[in-house]
Amino acid sequence: MAATPCEKIGSRILCIRFFLLLCLVGIIIRSFDIQILQGEALKKKAENTYVRRITIQGDRGLILDRHSNKLGASIEAPNITADPTQVKNARQAADQLVKILGGNRTEIEKKLSRERRFALLASRVAPAKADAVKKLNIVGIYTPDNSKRFYPNRRLAAQVIGFTGKDDQGLEGLEFSYNKFLEGRTLKTKEYRDGQGTILNTGKNKRAGLKGDTIVLTLDKKIQFFSEEALEQAVKKYRGKSGMALVMQPATGELLAVAHYPEFNPNNYGDFSRSRYRNRTVTDAFEPGSIMKVITVASAIERGMSATTIINCENGNYRVGRSVIHDTHPHEYLTPAEIVKVSSNIGAAKIAQDIGPKAMHYYLKAFGFGTKTGINCPAESAGVILPLNRWTSIDAVAISFGQGMSVTALQLISAVSAIANGGKLMKPLLVQKVLSNSGKIIQTNNPCVIRQVISTQTAGIVKKMMAGVVQEEGTGTKAAIPGYRICGKTSTAQKAARDRKGYSHSRFTAAFAGFAPFDNPALAILVVVDEPKQNHYGGTVAAPAFKDIMARSFNYLNIPPQTDMVAALPREVLHAAD
Amino acid sequence: MFDRRLVSNFDWGFFLIIFFICILGLTILYSAVTAGYAGTALHPLFKKQVVWLAVGFAIMMGCLVIDFREFAKLHLLIYAACVGLLVATWLVGHTGGGSQRWLVLGPVRIQTSELMKISLIISLASVYADSISPDGLGFRHLIKPAILCIIPFGLIFIQPDLGTGLLLLLIAGCLTIFVKVEKKVLIILGGAGLALVPLVWFFGLKAYQKDRILTFLNPERDPLGAGYHIIQSKIAIGSGMLTGKGFLQGTQNALSFLPEQHTDFILSVLAEEWGLAGCTVLLALYFLLLFWGVNISYNCRNMFGSLLAMGITIMIFWQIFINLGMVMGLMPVVGVPLPLVSYGGSSVVTNMVGFGVLLNISMRKFNTA
Repeated sequence: MAATPCEKIGSRILCIRFFLLLCLVGIIIRSFDIQILQGEALKKKAENTYVRRITIQGDRGLILDRHSNKLGASIEAPNITADPTQVKNARQAADQLVKILGGNRTEIEKKLSRERRFALLASRVAPAKADAVKKLNIVGIYTPDNSKRFYPNRRLAAQVIGFTGKDDQGLEGLEFSYNKFLEGRTLKTKEYRDGQGTILNTGKNKRAGLKGDTIVLTLDKKIQFFSEEALEQAVKKYRGKSGMALVMQPATGELLAVAHYPEFNPNNYGDFSRSRYRNRTVTDAFEPGSIMKVITVASAIERGMSATTIINCENGNYRVGRSVIHDTHPHEYLTPAEIVKVSSNIGAAKIAQDIGPKAMHYYLKAFGFGTKTGINCPAESAGVILPLNRWTSIDAVAISFGQGMSVTALQLISAVSAIANGGKLMKPLLVQKVLSNSGKIIQTNNPCVIRQVISTQTAGIVKKMMAGVVQEEGTGTKAAIPGYRICGKTSTAQKAARDRKGYSHSRFTAAFAGFAPFDNPALAILVVVDEPKQNHYGGTVAAPAFKDIMARSFNYLNIPPQTDMVAALPREVLHAAD
Repeated sequence: MFDRRLVSNFDWGFFLIIFFICILGLTILYSAVTAGYAGTALHPLFKKQVVWLAVGFAIMMGCLVIDFREFAKLHLLIYAACVGLLVATWLVGHTGGGSQRWLVLGPVRIQTSELMKISLIISLASVYADSISPDGLGFRHLIKPAILCIIPFGLIFIQPDLGTGLLLLLIAGCLTIFVKVEKKVLIILGGAGLALVPLVWFFGLKAYQKDRILTFLNPERDPLGAGYHIIQSKIAIGSGMLTGKGFLQGTQNALSFLPEQHTDFILSVLAEEWGLAGCTVLLALYFLLLFWGVNISYNCRNMFGSLLAMGITIMIFWQIFINLGMVMGLMPVVGVPLPLVSYGGSSVVTNMVGFGVLLNISMRKFNTA
């Protein structure tokens, strides 16, 4: 009988058992190596493959007018990003992307070839482009939601609102000064994706909660529009260099319109000259001219001067020190009301001399000149009121009719409003409130009385004088609106000469400031046209724009004509009013 | 012919090991296919695998009925039938993944090369049982086995499925060495084999096959392409650490980072979710299975039975070892499923036939004639 298999293969079986054991040990060692020794590192690597650290950027907050019309909004503008470690063919991907996004192919390829987990290929692109990129379906290329600023009304109030730069950071205007509130919050978070690169947990729902705060302005879109239109007409008609118009509620200090010309479109601000960007009503100080006479007279009356005082106006030539003051039309004796009505420089000068420089300086300061209003617009100017000890004898009189000092349009409208509202200087307001993302009020700016500058009584007297300006034989008759009693004051200020001491005879600032209705002023308006060439009188250049804004606003705000004024109207106008 | 002694000799231990591996395999498969699956009912692949395993057990029991010595008499017939199937596959087979490997019979697709493995082992065992000698086999003894190997290898090679073809040669080679070959023959054949390596590298391998080998040597060569499987698999296994992330908690699996997670790379699912502990349990079961197989071979009083048992054990060993090596980054990626755990009907059936034959031999080990 043959040997049993056992004898033939027995020793070999032993070898095989040993070999098997060796294999088992080998594999367990390898297992141990991977799972325990390299475990931590591999676990991290595992996490890296499905977790991506991302930053979600919320929308920028809204900018609304007082009736919640959107002045600044956000529109969808996704980013194009990449996880270069996931992109298989950087060259091909770059080729495809450049076709859609434009730009430099080698630069994109370089970004895609880096050993990083994140690359920003393009920020804030048009949604259509992002969709096209999505359709390419390249693993490792993402199109996270983002938004960019959009100004639906284009030029409307552009200088006030300002604009944002490429990264949606506020660069000018309220966008700049309220950037901290407006800017969308960012959230650093993790995003999960599967092996195909599909994102499992998009930040979409998280984004809504990251939206910036909303700021509600005091501006009224309609009145802003009326103002810009009227101003543009005035500047164009009289070929001015530029112009500005302010509309304020005298009782509260809230600004309803802040208009500028020339305009710019904040959606493509790069196409416009930089000089158009700034909010000149706040940043630019100018010599106000005759409007200051109102302040001079108000100060004097508050100091006790009788409204019936008769002042000798020297027939148009009055020497102070080495200078001679002129009036456009010579006058002999005038009451303060007449001085305001015909805008006599000599009259104003004499009143100023009467109350003295100290009182003049005090009241100028009290009306807010020479001090920033603190309105929270960038680069606010304080204007210039020289310290009292530096006033020359001519300064003391020139300031009475608005020379030798400078003010901002905002200061001027605030001072005029103080006369309108019974002597209270109000803090000018542009931002009514700031609302959080959830609608909670973060900040409210309530009307704020800075001080009672003059008594209600004095204010009433000055108001009456200002009403005279718009009446027959006054300098501001072009501001009259049938059916309403309008108060105002013209200003035709010579600008300082560029090449010599003294004042230019060809460059003027034409302005008109006023308020109405007389009994309960709802609006105070200032219109300033810089260097008009056609005509330089405030009563001709600025008053019609003032009237235009005022009349359209009354209509819009449903402010009815005064009945006693209607009775006083000539018959045919009465019929028309019916 | 079917006496009661056979029932009492039934190898319950071996049967239980197989059973436990199947249960563990189904658990892992459940996790692998449920990942990212939206339906509420059981995943169809899981249900299919349960059916395959049931069918497999039935076939295994079927293999017990006939005395294994009958196989020796019928070996040429079985061999011819399997070669016939391979030829049929070549002619009318189903093409998938770039090669023609499957024969479609109604609802089932059979990978005929899998069945060929068992058939070849039976034939070789039968031939070697007659020619075995203490001095080893000479060249003339190897002519017949060589012919038996070359025919199926050629048919599988043209599918093309180089992996399975080489596995076939590997099993045959190991069995031959186990039977013992003359030293002279061994040296000559070994030398010729080594000389062939550069020839095969430059003329025999397709670009993707070279790529796999190069990638194995350095997976970071192409982390998103050819190296992806190896890297992702290593990451998944490693992140399981000692105790794993828990059943159905594997992130790499659930987020479909793992390639072929229900077939060839199923071990990485186990490793990720059950950690080193889970791996060790499966490895222990596998090696218990292999030891048992070696013991069956050792204890058999019949030379044919002994060689047959050894051949089948070698077949199972290489499948396990190649798969583990591939998944753990010790070997290039070749498509070899993990026995009883990976999804796939052909693999289940082949292995179950193998286990059936082993049980058959174990049951009748005292029959010497």
